[in-house]
Amino acid sequence: MASLQFGLSSSFASLPTASRFRRVSVRCSGDRQVLFNRIAPVYDNLNDLLSLGQHRVWKRMAISWTGAKEKDTVLDICCGSGDLTFLLSEKVGPTGKVIGVDFSKEQLNVASSRQNSRWRACYESIEFVEGDATDLPFSNCQFDAITMGYGLRNVVDKKKAMQEMFRVLKPGGKASILDFNKSTKPFVASFQEWMIDNVVVPVATGYGLAEEYEYLKNSIREFLTGKELEELAIQAGFSMASHYEFSGGLMGNLVVTR
Amino acid sequence: MVRLGKTLLKEAANGIGKTLSGVLACPLSKQPLRCCKETNSLISDSIGVSYPMKDGIPCLVPRDGKIVGGDDNDGHNGDPATIQSTD
Repeated sequence: MASLQFGLSSSFASLPTASRFRRVSVRCSGDRQVLFNRIAPVYDNLNDLLSLGQHRVWKRMAISWTGAKEKDTVLDICCGSGDLTFLLSEKVGPTGKVIGVDFSKEQLNVASSRQNSRWRACYESIEFVEGDATDLPFSNCQFDAITMGYGLRNVVDKKKAMQEMFRVLKPGGKASILDFNKSTKPFVASFQEWMIDNVVVPVATGYGLAEEYEYLKNSIREFLTGKELEELAIQAGFSMASHYEFSGGLMGNLVVTR
Repeated sequence: MVRLGKTLLKEAANGIGKTLSGVLACPLSKQPLRCCKETNSLISDSIGVSYPMKDGIPCLVPRDGKIVGGDDNDGHNGDPATIQSTD
C-alpha cells in the first residue's frame, strides 16, 4: 500500500462536521501560515499515521541526496516540527551547524520542545529561526547543503524560493527538495487523489481535519511536475537538477546543485 | 533541562548563539544584523528595521520588522556590527 505524507493544515479546535466540505481559503502566504499554525499540534502524529511511518524513510533519503557530512553548515527550509532538522544534525554532528527555518511560530515551538525534551550532543548544533522561504534571512553562500521537506508545494512564489536557495548555498552545494510528486501518468494521479479521498480524509476526520482536505488535493494539482521543477531550478541558476520519483510515483525528490 | 537553561541564558544575554552568529542577515536587505540588548531585537541598520526575538527564536519574516525611530531607544547608536555571539 502506498503511503501518503500528510502535509495539510487544519483547525485543531474541533469544527462541526457539517462544515466538512467548507472550502478553506489558502491562496495567499498569510492563509497558509495560519493553516500550518493550526495543524502544528497534530502534525507529527498524522504524518506517522497516514504514511505508516514511511515518511521517515523518505526523509532519510532526502538527506542522503544532499551529501551533508560532519562539520557542515546546513539549512532545513520549511522545517515544521523539525524532522529533517534533527536528522541533519545527526549527519553534521556537534561540530556542524544546523538551522531550521519556518514561517509558522507554532511549528517552531513544537520543534523547540522536541529539542529540549531529549538530549543528544548533535542537537546542540541546531538553531531555529522564524523566516520566509522567499526572503531567507541569511547572507549569501552560507550553506553546504539545504533540505526542504513538503514545503515547496506550499510556497506561493516557488521561483523566488528557488532563487533564495541558490543565493544562500555555497558553490557546489546541493539542495534536496522532497514533496508529493505531481505525476504525469493519469493512473498515478488518479490513485493519489483516490488515496486522499478514501484514506486521508477518513483518518483526518478523526482529528477534525476533514474540511481542509481540499487544500492537499488542490496543492498537488497546482504543483509542478518533476520536469517543470528541474526547469525552474535551472532558471534559478542551478548547474544541475534531477527529479527522482519513488513510492510508486506518489513522492518525488528534486536534487539541485549550485 | 540543560537545553532549557541554555535558552534562558541566551535570552537573558539578549544574544545569538554560535550557530547563528555570522549567518543571519536582514531578510530584506541581506545585510548583517546588530543585536540590541535593550529591546531584545535584531537591527538592520542598512534599512532601519528591527526584528524581535521571541522565546529565544529570531523572528525574521519581513512583516515582523518594525521601522526604527530616529531618537528612540532601539539601540541605533553606532556602527552596524555583525551579530554578537553569546559564546
